[in-house]
Amino acid sequence: MTDIYTVITDFNLVPLIPEIFMALFAMGLLIVGVSQGNRSTSVICWASVAGLAITALLIMGLDWQHKIILNGMFVFDEFAGFMKLLVLLGLMASLALSVRYLAQEGIERFEYPVLVVMSGVGMMMMLSANNMLTLYVGLELQSLALYVLAAFHRNAVRSAEAGLKYFVLGALSSGMLLFGISLLYGFTGSIDFGAIGASLLAADSISFGPIFALVFIVAGLAFKISAVPFHMWTPDVYQGAPESVTALFAIVPKVAAMGLLMRLLFEPFAAMADQWGQIIYFLSLASMLVGAFGGIAQLSIKRLIAYSSIGNMGYALIGIVAGTPQGAGAVIVYLLIYMIMTAGVFAVILSMRRNGAAVEWIGDLAGLSKSNPVMAYAMAILLFSMAGIPPMAGFFGKILVFQAAVAEGYYVLSVLGVVSSVVAAYYYLRVIKVMFFDEAADPFDGRTPFARRAVLLISTAFVLAFILKPSLIVESAQSAALSLFFG
Amino acid sequence: MTVQAVAFFLFAGILTLSALMVITARNPVHSVLFLILAFFNAAGLFVLLGAEFIAMILVIVYVGAVAVLFLFVVMMLDISFSDLRKGAMQYVPVGFLIGLVLLSELALLYGAWVSVPEISNNLAAPVSAFAGKTNTESLGLLIYTHYLLAFQCAGLILFVAMVGAIVLTHRVRPGVRKQSVAEQQRRRPEDVLEIKKMTPGAGL
Amino acid sequence: MELVAVFTPFIAFLVVGLFGRSIGDRGAQFITCAGVILAALASVVLFDEVILKHQAYTTLLAPWVVAGNFSVNWALRIDQLSVVMMCVINIVSACVHVYSIGYMSHDPAKRRFMAYLSLFTFAMLMLVSADNLLQLFFGWEGVGLASYLLIGFWNHKPSANAAAIKAFVVNRVGDFGLALGTMGVFLLFGTIGFDAIFEQAPTYKDAYFTILGHDFHALTVICLLLFMGAVGKSAQLGLHTWLPDAMEGPTPVSALIHAATMVTAGVFLVARFSPVFEYAPTALMVVTVFGGLTAFVAATIGMTQFDIKRVIAYSTMSQLGYMFFALGVSAYGAAMFHLVTHAFFKALLFLGAGSVIHAMSDEQDMRNMGGIFKKIPTTYALMWIGSLALAGIPPFAGYFSKDIVLEAAWADHSWFGNMAFWLGIAAAFMTAFYTWRMLLMTFHGTPRASKKVMDHVHESPPVMLVPLAVLALGAVFAGWGLHSGFVGSAHHGGVEEHGVEAVHHEMSEDHASGERGVGGHDTGDQSVTKQIAQNIEVIEHGIKAAENQIIVEAEEASYEVEAWAKENFWQKALYVLPENDTVEQAHSAPFWVKKLPLLMGVLGIALAYIAYMLLPALPGAVTRVFRPIHTLLFNKWFFDELYDALFVKPLLDMGTIFAEKGDRGTVDRFGPDGGAALSQKIARGLSRFQSGYVYQYAFTMMIALIGIVSWFVFRNGQGF
Repeated sequence: MTDIYTVITDFNLVPLIPEIFMALFAMGLLIVGVSQGNRSTSVICWASVAGLAITALLIMGLDWQHKIILNGMFVFDEFAGFMKLLVLLGLMASLALSVRYLAQEGIERFEYPVLVVMSGVGMMMMLSANNMLTLYVGLELQSLALYVLAAFHRNAVRSAEAGLKYFVLGALSSGMLLFGISLLYGFTGSIDFGAIGASLLAADSISFGPIFALVFIVAGLAFKISAVPFHMWTPDVYQGAPESVTALFAIVPKVAAMGLLMRLLFEPFAAMADQWGQIIYFLSLASMLVGAFGGIAQLSIKRLIAYSSIGNMGYALIGIVAGTPQGAGAVIVYLLIYMIMTAGVFAVILSMRRNGAAVEWIGDLAGLSKSNPVMAYAMAILLFSMAGIPPMAGFFGKILVFQAAVAEGYYVLSVLGVVSSVVAAYYYLRVIKVMFFDEAADPFDGRTPFARRAVLLISTAFVLAFILKPSLIVESAQSAALSLFFG
Repeated sequence: MTVQAVAFFLFAGILTLSALMVITARNPVHSVLFLILAFFNAAGLFVLLGAEFIAMILVIVYVGAVAVLFLFVVMMLDISFSDLRKGAMQYVPVGFLIGLVLLSELALLYGAWVSVPEISNNLAAPVSAFAGKTNTESLGLLIYTHYLLAFQCAGLILFVAMVGAIVLTHRVRPGVRKQSVAEQQRRRPEDVLEIKKMTPGAGL
Repeated sequence: MELVAVFTPFIAFLVVGLFGRSIGDRGAQFITCAGVILAALASVVLFDEVILKHQAYTTLLAPWVVAGNFSVNWALRIDQLSVVMMCVINIVSACVHVYSIGYMSHDPAKRRFMAYLSLFTFAMLMLVSADNLLQLFFGWEGVGLASYLLIGFWNHKPSANAAAIKAFVVNRVGDFGLALGTMGVFLLFGTIGFDAIFEQAPTYKDAYFTILGHDFHALTVICLLLFMGAVGKSAQLGLHTWLPDAMEGPTPVSALIHAATMVTAGVFLVARFSPVFEYAPTALMVVTVFGGLTAFVAATIGMTQFDIKRVIAYSTMSQLGYMFFALGVSAYGAAMFHLVTHAFFKALLFLGAGSVIHAMSDEQDMRNMGGIFKKIPTTYALMWIGSLALAGIPPFAGYFSKDIVLEAAWADHSWFGNMAFWLGIAAAFMTAFYTWRMLLMTFHGTPRASKKVMDHVHESPPVMLVPLAVLALGAVFAGWGLHSGFVGSAHHGGVEEHGVEAVHHEMSEDHASGERGVGGHDTGDQSVTKQIAQNIEVIEHGIKAAENQIIVEAEEASYEVEAWAKENFWQKALYVLPENDTVEQAHSAPFWVKKLPLLMGVLGIALAYIAYMLLPALPGAVTRVFRPIHTLLFNKWFFDELYDALFVKPLLDMGTIFAEKGDRGTVDRFGPDGGAALSQKIARGLSRFQSGYVYQYAFTMMIALIGIVSWFVFRNGQGF
């Protein structure tokens, strides 16, 4: 039996503690939920938020030195740590936003926070994946939970449809991913990131095999970050899913998938930078343009957000195209800012209820500036930031990725990025126009719950205050990005 | 060699044909039956590769569980698949063309296949410790050691799948009568009985 | 103190402009008037500190622009020149503010008016107290803005709006010159601070700019560009067309901005830049020629106009011409002197005219006036004072200043100086003529207004008459009061020399009587004689001592008197090369030069009296006989028509073409409109693509995937 111990050489579970804690916590919550019933949903939600916060503390308590454990299955480094904190932050925000919403919509079920936390476990696995197998199981864990969440409002046809669509197309993308992984395995004989990277570096020239593999793998992941042309599901699923789930979709999984993509491209596929540069270039450009132009014709708020998120992923991808630590750092900053802005926007949207139902159309926001000026101004600030208007944070996110691209000579991409951000500004500003200048319809319902006010306040404050000390975030993001390159 | 070759082409040919029949058969029940046939042939191919464990798993899980489940679903739901197919049929020519392109590209890929020099090292790395062990035994050793994380994570996936299935399908029906022993035990006469004084002849 | 003088009007403007609604009309009037009066008192204190006590200084407020080696500060330059200007501005402005309370009493937008007036005052103060060209430009544009707002104050009148736009646009031409001049200064001197420029000016007197292969004398170029700004703002010939039209504004505005202060900004600018102009003789020549021609042309037009305000407006233009040719012959002090006196009597005339208009129910045409002097005697008297000052009749202010200006021109002894002198003499005659023509047509003769209007004629309230009286005081006393300070000479003639001479005279008489007293004892006893001789010695000694004492006292006295002479008055604020000092030479001008302007004034008055009182048929006859000339003059030398045909219409046509074909037809069509339409189209296309069918989505994904794969296959295909 000695060979068993030779097989597993580094049985060090310390870097896994946050994930283990999260999974156990989710199971514990499930038990509580089963015994207490759906009444306990809000308690469980808040408990999950607390659990996520503890997880975040655990991550911060870890040693952030680059460390590979469990025979290369799992990696923990500064990048993973930073991105995990982002993911946890996003999960907490979206859970906080959900609490009251579930009750309002009559879908108050205790499984909701459990599923959210479980998808979080999947995302954490993705961000720490150092092996195609870890990558895949992490991705599936995340996706499966999200498929269920999309269909969570099971009595609403739209929601069920959204879940099904997401599931079917997600399965297709998983198939692509797996096909790519198989090809890569056939080419290199390994599914370990380190071994793949070393093999590719050692190869004299890059043949079709790994290129095909790369294309399929990137396509599979592009689906997750809804990059054009793998974005088709996004507007439909965003619109169909319950709003709190839409908020979750818009805020969190993209951060995780983007982190995964970055690790994949910068570590095992580093030798193929020339090839993936072309693919990402295309994805980025297409996403920015479709995100900008597609949003113009939208009347539904959630579809608008969907296109907005497509476009924003396009901007983030610019940083990856640049292929430098500077670019990678810019992507991280961009994701952080995007996440916070989106959380704030959803805090407003979720609060907009009229006659007991959530507002759906942009036109329904009319007169917000009269009925709730504070919220209208906060929303306006967030939208200005999303449109990339200085001095809000969104401007800095954009300028950082553009700078990174320009530094590497990607002028056309940057210029088109700026052009599409001008086009996209149209629909952000249109929402502001509706809020401030259109005649109000019926008044909105009641008070905004504390959690949403808190999220809105924090995100607005962040967006405004970012300019005061950008280096605070930019520098730590840069150092996190550096760990990808010289880990 | 020859026996193996004959067996391979037999299994592979039937597999391809039945896969084709799965998507072209008019009757959905036929489709599922062809699917089962395809699974069996795939299992045969695994046996040829010496992966008897996976072959058995394929038969047990896919044929025994998944395909039969499909059959039940198809039989229980009276869905006219031909109607559903109508919309998709218009894409057949284009789809065919696209498939052809992909096929030719994959052929090209196969033709120009060059593995990296390190492939033998990479391939040998995990299996070196299990020389001379049976398929099942080495798989078990590997899964519970080397791929422990992935295995546990797969367990989590199943857990989520279970929770998800319950969330999406489990309903509490209001009209269903259930026996609750605790409730029956808690019943007190005061709760259910009302004693009224009756004056004779006055009625209730 | 300087902060009070400059910023109180601004504070008043802010308070009234922002909170006018809550403090009401009364409050607005009180605050703005109080602000300006306070500023006026402060500037009088400054006058004492800076001019009488010779303490010029600069107060640094804050850094403004710092970019590379270009740095500009907000600063207040408090020297003799700016203090004189501040006194004039604040005193006249205070009068106008108070006057406006009465004049605008029927206007609904009193607060706005008062706020604008205060804004103007502040901008003008910033202009004159500027320490560098950029701050001067700030004030320059500030007064331009205030002028625009006030000319167009009655914005319901299309003509007022048109006049406001005209004033603004015409001034742009001049401002362009000023901006270029500023840039030129920076190019040459590397700074735009006044001190540095003036110090370095002599060292650059032989510098040249090379423009398009030609060398131009750098200082001349700069001075001409600055002068271009002055031409615009001070309505000199060429860019003067806005000034008469600016009379569309309320009369107090005309008095404050278009007579007393803003239009003199050009004069101030040139005077301020005297240390530079002195080294650019060509530029001085141009200034002289412009000034002389303006004085003449404006006077000719003034004789034919019927609108009472336009007559005064052309008169203003003409007087500004005087100031400019005084500048041109290096008589900066004389120019400033005329500026100050003119500010008083012209503001007086304007406000008086306003009082008349007020009395005549907003009638401005002199042909519809007449015979009202008995009904508004106070106004009538005050108008007389103003007119006498304008015509240059002693002892009124205009007499002193106009004389010294003309004498200086004569003393320049150059061809342009002579030309300016004779043009000025002619203009002096015409000035007196049109002034009395105005007086007589307005107040005398038979009433030509309707009976309703005549019944309504009434004297203005005290709130309007008191400011008039204050200005009248200025018009009477500013001349001889300030004469010696502004243009007087310590070395030549004038009061102060008389003073010294008198002392000497007295002294020598004392001495003589002493001699005589001693000589009386000559025939007496020897010893007595001896003793007397000793006594005489003692006495002589004493006398000598006394004499010394007296001399010292006299010198002190003469020093004090000299303090009130131009060199000590202006100190370094005005700079004149010794050989150019025409003011000095003007004091020794021949008798006929000194008395000719006065003669002309009297003749002009006499002619006007004859033409409009004794022989009312005469003007008509003259008009008929000299019809072509009259037409030319009546139509203001056709400047407006010429400009319309030359600039306005072609530019408008061009603008229309560009707007229709270029902007709307090309830029809009293919730019914003086209882009927007295209975006909408793309958006609709994308939405259609988003059909909602899963198989279509999946199909799209597959196509994209295969597309990317194919891209690599075809791109790298050659490698295989």
